[in-house]
Amino acid sequence: MMETTERVAAGQAKIARLTGELRRVILGKEHTIDEVVAALLARGHVLLEGLPGLGKTELIKALSRLLALDFRRIQFTPDLLPTDITGSHILQERDGRKDFVFHPGPVFTNLLLADEINRASPKTQAALLEAMQERRVTTFGETRVLPDPFFVLATQNPIELEGTYPLPEAQLDRFMFKVEVAGVDRSVLEEILVTRVRGEPPALDPVLSAAELADLFALVDAIHLPRGVANYAARLVAASHPSSADAPEAVRSFVKYGSSPRAAIAIGSAARARALAAGKPNVGFDDVRRVAAPAMAHRLVLDYSARLEGWDGRRVVDAIVTSVPEIERGLPQTLEAR
Amino acid sequence: MSDLPVPIRRRLQRLARRLSIGLFLDVWPRWTAAGLIAAGVATLACRVLAPRASPYLVWLWIVPAIAAIPAALLCRWRRFRHEDVLAAADSLAGGTGTLLAVAETRDASWHESPMLARAAAFELPRLRPWRRLKPAVAAAAFLAAALAVPQRTARAADTALADDIARTLAATVAELKQQQLVAPEEEKALEDAIERIRRDAGQRVDASAWEAADALREKLASDAAAKQDAVKWAAQSLERYASAANAAGGLPPADGAEAAELSKALEQLAKSGLLAGASKDLQAVLKSGKLPSDAAALRALSASLGRYLKETNGRFGELAKLGKEFGRFNPAEFPLAEGDSAVDGTEPGQGAVTRGRADADLTFGQETAPFDRFKATPLPPGAARSPDDWAPLVELPGAPQGSPELSASAQARSYADAVGQGAWRRALAPRHQSAVKKYFAK
Repeated sequence: MMETTERVAAGQAKIARLTGELRRVILGKEHTIDEVVAALLARGHVLLEGLPGLGKTELIKALSRLLALDFRRIQFTPDLLPTDITGSHILQERDGRKDFVFHPGPVFTNLLLADEINRASPKTQAALLEAMQERRVTTFGETRVLPDPFFVLATQNPIELEGTYPLPEAQLDRFMFKVEVAGVDRSVLEEILVTRVRGEPPALDPVLSAAELADLFALVDAIHLPRGVANYAARLVAASHPSSADAPEAVRSFVKYGSSPRAAIAIGSAARARALAAGKPNVGFDDVRRVAAPAMAHRLVLDYSARLEGWDGRRVVDAIVTSVPEIERGLPQTLEAR
Repeated sequence: MSDLPVPIRRRLQRLARRLSIGLFLDVWPRWTAAGLIAAGVATLACRVLAPRASPYLVWLWIVPAIAAIPAALLCRWRRFRHEDVLAAADSLAGGTGTLLAVAETRDASWHESPMLARAAAFELPRLRPWRRLKPAVAAAAFLAAALAVPQRTARAADTALADDIARTLAATVAELKQQQLVAPEEEKALEDAIERIRRDAGQRVDASAWEAADALREKLASDAAAKQDAVKWAAQSLERYASAANAAGGLPPADGAEAAELSKALEQLAKSGLLAGASKDLQAVLKSGKLPSDAAALRALSASLGRYLKETNGRFGELAKLGKEFGRFNPAEFPLAEGDSAVDGTEPGQGAVTRGRADADLTFGQETAPFDRFKATPLPPGAARSPDDWAPLVELPGAPQGSPELSASAQARSYADAVGQGAWRRALAPRHQSAVKKYFAK
């Protein structure tokens, strides 16, 4: 059974309220906001990549305020240690006894902003691996479950390479979406100048409680993913591998390793969220197409020739989406869709 | 699909039909084009190599129908399943997935949803067969062009040759008819024979055609010769009868032998059909079989019959030239038949009198002319010999006395002895001595 129209419409309204408020804060970034909200509803982590000053941090901060969730921020630096994230045991005296007491780190929150994540050392970055995938932290042999929900919203700067540590593939794979934050046009800048005093965003009030958010999560999970659409998503991911028979020429030329199965899972979850945001009780081919690029692009390991030829992950995914037909068999050549 | 609303179901069925047609049109034109090209190539080959297949080449136009059968079977095997049709419909509707979801979940609560109505309002894909049919049309044009190529065959030349042979024979028959030397029933039989020869020669001109023509000519000539003999016999019989009648004073001879011979000669003449052109009174007399008894009527009959025989004999004189014009078969006059050209008689078992295989038809030529073949040659008169009528031709000497050895001369005997002793005493060459010793030592 599919969700009723009323429940779907109610869920859509809540999401619309959330995105509406975010669009009030971050001007001219509708597409970015939609992708971040979709990943959030799919309970996935998001890596925002963009130049400084484009509103990445502001977007996440606004999201935390709107969701009324616990929010922490970590500014990643080269000297940041794993225990600075996960927390550590500190020797404390209690009742005349000295004992190691665990002090939870900032990862014990609902919404974690990992600002400039690529500035920390790989060891510190790796501290997030278990937290992001299994939503728990192990220190001194003790495993602690993180609060639910738990999201990591990380940012990184694509141009400052000195003193940075590029995220390894295993770390990147943990992020459901990598959202590229582009610049804004002149009209948006003008709007910012007119409406903001000293660039301060407008005051925000929570629009979704934790219970409502949990209800949305359940609703997203209930969105029906038809087998035909799932087949399309699977073929997209399979086509990202150079050895696949369906791989387009761009993949064969520029991709060393294709997307992992986690990409297919991410596409399915995010497409459900997008379908709900669109007020649909089911996922469609269009939803899969929309989420394919942010879910797959950062999971591709490109060849050096891709950089020389000016191809990035998004462009390769666009080539895959263009080449793979929605229906597996395709229409007969004698027929022409109008 | 049965769980979907009826209008959507019908639309999906239309889409399924169109997909089937599209699938068929994807396959069939290619196969048809391939079949038509193959048919065109086969047609060209038959135009050059197999003239006998020419009447059947038009049946190659059923190639498209034949190609449709396996194409239909293949399309049935590869037909779009229900899920494929739904996915195609959903994709055509914009890819919202609604049709797929409603069909999978069978959730009737969404049947009235405007979202489903929008998803079901997809436009059927347009059928564009011409692009796929172009190769088939081009292949059909190729086949048509191949069929339009003239048949390469010697049929025209054969027909002309056959007509020429038949014309020559017909001219001979016409000449015979003009000279009133052929009866109507004979003429009909000859025309049939000429037509048969012309038909056979039209199919294949070879030695047998010429031989058949020659045989017919010979028959004509022999028939004419027989008729001429009958006329001559009748004339001679009439002459003897007339001389006998003159001797009897103008009355029929009393002996009756001449009259009987004349009657037989006239009967033979009637059998040969030569009396058809005689006058009525002459025919009446000849039919009655009775010669007139009075002298005047006998003279009149003799005169009338004499004139008629003379006239008929004159016609034979005109006909004599026909016999000389009869052509004889000459192998060099016409090309060998196609089948014979490959046989050169050099392989074992292919030998023959002059050429070709052993079982090939023999050809003849330069035979004796028909009028000279059976010309009678009188033998010298002979008589039966009695067994007692004999005489010795030569006296042989007596039987030999004594053995030839004893009867030989002494010189010969001594010579033979010397030859034996000489051989016995002959010295062996040293290289032969060991071999002789070894032989006699066994």
